[in-house]
Amino acid sequence: MNSIFGGKLRVLDISMGWAGPLVGQMFAEMGAEAIKVEDTHHFDWWRGSLSMAPPEMQPIERAAVFNTANRGKRGVTLDLASARGIEILKRLIEVSDILVENFSPGVMDRLGLGYDSLRAINPRLIMISMPSFGSDGPECNARGYGNTVEAMAGVTGLTGYHDGNGQHYTLSNALGDPVGGLHGVFALMVALRERERTGRGQLIELAQVESLIPFVADAIVDFQFTGKVPPARGNRHREHAPHGIYRCAGEHNWIALACETDDQWRGLARAIEIERLADDKRFADASARKTNEDELDAELSRAFCSINADDCVARLRDAGVIAAPVNSAPAVMADPQIQSRDYFVAIERAVVGTHLYPGAVARIPDTPLRADEPAPLLGEHNRQILSELLGMSDDDIAELERSGIIGSSPRESRMA
Amino acid sequence: MRYRALNDVRVVDLTHFIAGPYATKLLADMGADVIKVEPPWGDGGRKLGPHRAGVVEERGGLFAFLNLNKRGVTINLKHERGRELLAGLLDGADLLIENFAPGTIAALGLAPDDLIAKFPKLSVISISNFGQDGVDRDGKLNDLVLFARGGWTFPVGEPTREPLTPPGSLAQYVAALYGAVAAMQALAARDLGLGHGQHIDVSILEATVATMIYETVTFQYTGILRSRAGKRFAVGPFLIVTLKCKDGYAGLHCVTDKQFEALCDLMGRRELASDARFNTALNRMLNNDALLEIVEPFFIGRERKWLYREGQRRAIPLVPIPSVAELLEWEQTRARNYFETIDDPVLGKLRVPGTPLRLTSHHAEASRPAPRLGEHNREIFGALGVGDVEIETLKKAGTI
Repeated sequence: MNSIFGGKLRVLDISMGWAGPLVGQMFAEMGAEAIKVEDTHHFDWWRGSLSMAPPEMQPIERAAVFNTANRGKRGVTLDLASARGIEILKRLIEVSDILVENFSPGVMDRLGLGYDSLRAINPRLIMISMPSFGSDGPECNARGYGNTVEAMAGVTGLTGYHDGNGQHYTLSNALGDPVGGLHGVFALMVALRERERTGRGQLIELAQVESLIPFVADAIVDFQFTGKVPPARGNRHREHAPHGIYRCAGEHNWIALACETDDQWRGLARAIEIERLADDKRFADASARKTNEDELDAELSRAFCSINADDCVARLRDAGVIAAPVNSAPAVMADPQIQSRDYFVAIERAVVGTHLYPGAVARIPDTPLRADEPAPLLGEHNRQILSELLGMSDDDIAELERSGIIGSSPRESRMA
Repeated sequence: MRYRALNDVRVVDLTHFIAGPYATKLLADMGADVIKVEPPWGDGGRKLGPHRAGVVEERGGLFAFLNLNKRGVTINLKHERGRELLAGLLDGADLLIENFAPGTIAALGLAPDDLIAKFPKLSVISISNFGQDGVDRDGKLNDLVLFARGGWTFPVGEPTREPLTPPGSLAQYVAALYGAVAAMQALAARDLGLGHGQHIDVSILEATVATMIYETVTFQYTGILRSRAGKRFAVGPFLIVTLKCKDGYAGLHCVTDKQFEALCDLMGRRELASDARFNTALNRMLNNDALLEIVEPFFIGRERKWLYREGQRRAIPLVPIPSVAELLEWEQTRARNYFETIDDPVLGKLRVPGTPLRLTSHHAEASRPAPRLGEHNREIFGALGVGDVEIETLKKAGTI
């Protein structure tokens, strides 16, 4: 089966974490040749810390998140603090279509890798810079990662229990990262299409925080309409009740459910045999249920705590109620719908063995995406890439190894 | 804001509510000619809050944002003449994007594969709750239940309380992004090799699960299931936490040894960096509770602004947690002219998020407001050769 790019597009990924690496990974899914560049001193921090396990355990090859976000790439190491390392990187950039970076603003210029100098050696180059807060502005140098980006985008300020006294919570998935990465992929696809027409590359700037703010547009507009900051609603809904998460029988068995109509509410009452509540005038219609939501939730909590969760969800769904278990990771992977579409893919990788990873999302029949290639070991493809792409001899490569420009084992930071 | 990068792309947009409209907004912001096709009674998304007090007709605030830069027509697809008009729009279009329940457009005689056979350049992007197939394809879903089912909710909240859902419709926006990327993938596959369009299937549930890699893959590696850790992201070899301060909350993201040393310096407690309980990532995980107990009181006594300035000065990812009101006033977004003021024909002046994509190949232009219901009927159907007389007849018949 064909892939979209059929190996005819080269993406150089010098980014770290999740947002930038996701870009390279998604291009690898499309059949682009994606190359991950790391420094043996300052390797991708998503590999984790050397101090987590003894060296013989290779702790930095055991990071699940790194091994997921860098699938399908080949890995090369370069000492970016050395002139020779930068020179080799420039030669790789010269033969690439896309360069992905998410350093702090100004770093690329300091390394002599500003877009203007790169354009001079490769006018077709499309470069994307993905700083957290932007490449300019008074706070552009502030450090941000997934969770801090999420906070500055206004998401954290909206996350809290309805009766939580203002305590905010961080989401579970560092949302700012994948959202930045997805916007990056979209922008690059747009720029590639333009390059087909004009023959020229361009620089794209994507401030990660700016890519997440649109997701809370409703709250931003709400504030302008009312002059009030919308409160954290917890598991509750602006209009509907019941709308919440309840414990079923056992320690950790929670279900989420929502009734958006009176019919669904009556269906719920029948399904779990609490018809008396459906007849209770405190809960007769949506506005009454909303007014008496604390009492409603207390009644439901009592009713659910003796019912098996799976059984409960099945009964609620039969009654037309919107419901699901609050799935843990293994439960997500065992979800019947996820299973029936074979969403997860098995990949074998050195050091860690075979695991299931989330597959590509878009199902494209004639040019399917492929998410089933492993992430590279540190410097795994040094020899291959430097000889194939830059025509270096074995002697050249051995010399680079001796002088520490390339390498395949991590080195403690010079700071230590 | 609007660029002209995709001004050779035509999109017929049959989407409604959030996931579909945000996908087509991304394309419209890049200059694609997006024709929003609504039933004569309007996209249900027009009724989504928030609403401006006293304005209940025509649109809410979210609709005004999600449908910027699109043109709008109305068509009743149950009418044969309506389907002919749609065919007229599809002739020469590059993309049809829809987010009906699976099987809906096929039941109208508009099966994606038939459309692609008839219009070989056309690709169809379908965004749906569960995908176009699978045992639970026709199940019901809303945001709360999606977050729970997709795994985002389980690790969030107080250990002694019920799990806490993420706010709003975040996962639907994620699915919209996958949809917009899929649209570009369809165009690339067509233009670079295949020459014909395809029907692409995007599941909102899978998009939700795709962005949950902390859980699904990590659990297989370690066998450890992350449980709710209250204000902490997790109990791990780091301190990622939302902390109460004198005047609100701050977000701390302390991961590396260097960041930890800087945090100790910020607190005036440099000795902690070499304390046997905290001197390695592993020890910081094992003694995470003790670490939090030291950090919390320090934050409670300080203001967000001070923490932000002094933390960042030491290269600690430490931020004040803004409300949406503060976000609108944040100097950084101001300096970058991020928010765009639109003049909506129904809601008046509004500040809305601008495009996060800054291309250097084009100048960004001001956005065009979201269309009124059927605003471009005359213009767009006129271009298909439908005269004014017929437009009046179609209106009376309820076809447009």
